[in-house]
Amino acid sequence: MSLSVSLSHRYGDFHLDLAFEAGPGVTAIFGPSGAGKSTVAQAIAGLLKPDMGRIALNERVLVDERTFVSASKRRVGYVFQDGRLFPHMNVAKNLRFGARFAPSAHDVSEEGKIIELLGLQALQERRPHQLSGGEKQRVALARALLSQPELLLLDEPLSALDEPRKEAILPYLERLRDQVNVPIIYISHSVAEVARLADQLVILKAGQKVADGAVEIVLSDPAALPFVGVRQAGSVLRARVEEHGCDGLSQLSVSGGVLHLPGISAPVGAQLRVRILAQDVLISLEEPHGLSSRNVVPVEISALRRGDGPGVAVQMIAGQDRLLARITARAAEELALRPGLRCFAILKATAVPRASISQGGH
Amino acid sequence: MRSIFSHIAAVCTLFWPTWVVAQPDVTVFAAASLRDALEEAVAGYEGQVVVSYGGSGQIARQVAQGAPADLIILANEAWVDWLEEREALVAQSRNDLVGNRLVLVGPSGSAPLSEPTKEALFERLDGGRLAIGQVDGVPAGIYGRQWLEAVELWSVFTPHLAQAENVRAALLWVAREEAPLGIVYASDAQAEASVDVLYDIPSNLHDEIVYPMAMVAGRENTQAERFALYLYSPAVQDIFLQQGFMALETEQ
Amino acid sequence: MNLRPEEWDALLLSLKVSVWAVVISLPLALLVAWLLARREFPGKALLSALVHLPLVLPPVVTGYLLLLAFGRNGVFGKVLADWGITLAFHWTGAALAAAIMGFPLVVRAIRLAIEAVDPKLEQAAETLGAGRLHVFALVTLPLILPGILAGVVLGFAKAMGEFGATITFVANIPGQTQTLPSAIYALLQVPGGEAAALRLGILSLVVAIGAVLLSEWLARRVAERIGRK
Repeated sequence: MSLSVSLSHRYGDFHLDLAFEAGPGVTAIFGPSGAGKSTVAQAIAGLLKPDMGRIALNERVLVDERTFVSASKRRVGYVFQDGRLFPHMNVAKNLRFGARFAPSAHDVSEEGKIIELLGLQALQERRPHQLSGGEKQRVALARALLSQPELLLLDEPLSALDEPRKEAILPYLERLRDQVNVPIIYISHSVAEVARLADQLVILKAGQKVADGAVEIVLSDPAALPFVGVRQAGSVLRARVEEHGCDGLSQLSVSGGVLHLPGISAPVGAQLRVRILAQDVLISLEEPHGLSSRNVVPVEISALRRGDGPGVAVQMIAGQDRLLARITARAAEELALRPGLRCFAILKATAVPRASISQGGH
Repeated sequence: MRSIFSHIAAVCTLFWPTWVVAQPDVTVFAAASLRDALEEAVAGYEGQVVVSYGGSGQIARQVAQGAPADLIILANEAWVDWLEEREALVAQSRNDLVGNRLVLVGPSGSAPLSEPTKEALFERLDGGRLAIGQVDGVPAGIYGRQWLEAVELWSVFTPHLAQAENVRAALLWVAREEAPLGIVYASDAQAEASVDVLYDIPSNLHDEIVYPMAMVAGRENTQAERFALYLYSPAVQDIFLQQGFMALETEQ
Repeated sequence: MNLRPEEWDALLLSLKVSVWAVVISLPLALLVAWLLARREFPGKALLSALVHLPLVLPPVVTGYLLLLAFGRNGVFGKVLADWGITLAFHWTGAALAAAIMGFPLVVRAIRLAIEAVDPKLEQAAETLGAGRLHVFALVTLPLILPGILAGVVLGFAKAMGEFGATITFVANIPGQTQTLPSAIYALLQVPGGEAAALRLGILSLVVAIGAVLLSEWLARRVAERIGRK
């Protein structure tokens, strides 16, 4: 399962020029608006013919100098920002639209599974205008899946929704990622969504690729911090639920130690991914005593990067995980931080909001 | 806002009906079949004459509704009677201006018919249609029907007619070879190069074809009288003859 | 209202001519409307002007041009005659005249409807595997049904009232080409024909109102069916 993309496309003053590979799981394409994300998505789906390039899906060439496979034959399930449900069909008919063009026969149990996965059982008879924004996107997701795509392309599927609705639909996306065996390209300008959902990450800026790799590595890379944004930058840790305390704090094990975080509902043994913002991490040279924080992890500094402003991004290794901290340049100087230095990362328990903790992942 | 209104006012003045100011001396409503001859006559007249051409029924209705005509010249006596009944015409002003004849025509190159028998006509039609003005409305159609009835061909040919809204349209069908035969005025046949006269229809087999002229009640004026007299002058009558009309024995 | 047999003939002929006018113009109108709404090609402005020509030309001129083109000796008339299709002085010619006179109205209504369809929905259908024909049949067509309906009603109404081009092209043959308007016109040519003309006028009015009511009802049904109220 792989998608290989290399594109060159000029659009007025805008010049898109990039190449990347996407494997199984979720590959996020991240960047600010105007970076060319949607152009990439349209080129993959066949809605735009790039000036030059090559796109191949599972060894099947979709675009090269001689080939241009039309959108209807690509088998790329495209979920648009605005849903694009057919207004003259009810939900059931929208869902079944792609089935008649799908390569293998209609599979009722598979259909039932997807409808249940996205919680659409009760909505079958509704018309699109009778659905909420979140419901529309769930229908659009199921509709794309039921066309038996080889690749699922989610183009900012949450950006038209308000925060509570985003929160409501994210668990569906997580389940989709973990239970449906279709690689997903996830296009987004939200670091939070990317951190929760993506395995791989490609960062675009002004039509160029500026970083790519595993999401834990790219997000904790001080070099990527300017593209992610200082307030949004942070690392993603893999954690396992060990026990739920009666005081509301749960104990999680990470590869470099133990974290105590509130508000975790996942059962003991569940695998979680926890996003920790760089601005919520403190650094201490000695193991702190008499500190209110319960979350102290021994780390080794692996990289430092001075930004344009007063801040310094510090990348640290904790076991197999990476942490990113953002501190002032003055503090970094006074503490004489340097790569190889062993120290302690301190994390305030309440600094990790519920939305930064999600279930699953590989 | 004020500038918008001033713009609108400026545009409106462009369309102000200035023709209201320039009234012609005489306005004539005349049957369309008179057009060529009347145009020539008007060109030779000293004075402002405007002629509006149309079907006789249409003109009669317009005049009855107060259309600004001083003189009317129709192709049909029935409509003049109709106007007289409504007292829309100046009493005693009615007079026949000129006459016409009916002819049977075919596309140019057709051989003349010595005798229009049923067999001969069917042979010429060859499955096609006989073009004619509407037989109960258009004057030329009414006269044509009278002739067909007189020679006892009417019932035979009724299903093979193509009735036109005016006699010029019937002429066009023959000229375009859409219809192999047509019944039209001699004056029309003469004006159209693409048709040949196959047979002169004897004028005693239908009502006399005359163009009655009359003055419209309430519009009497010396200018109109002067123009009416001019139309009876030998010079103008000569024009009518040249265009294929027939002179009438005037009672004046 | 007691109608004389020839008045019945005129009414039935008008209905027949109008229905056929709509039937023959609709497929071509759909194609032309789609081309004008969705495609860029050289000569597009010319095509648009050509389609709208019957709207600006005097109907009699259109009738004359039809005679030139589709008469027995016309360019197309000759070819059609070889296939056994007669148009001049025949009710089929009346249908053709009515179709051409109504064509701009039908195209316009459908074109506006196509332009109102979001091309993004068609894109979505494509990404779900639908080829161009399926996209049109399953997405575009149902969404433009109200526009098609409006075009059909306009075309039908225009055909019911068409006179100038019809009488020039196919004459006024009772029972064959004498439609309601030609019958009314013929009656108005005779002194004293007003009463009968008025009766036929009222008949036309009844048909027209009936057609509009029917289309309103259909439009509501369609609107409910495609989920737009």
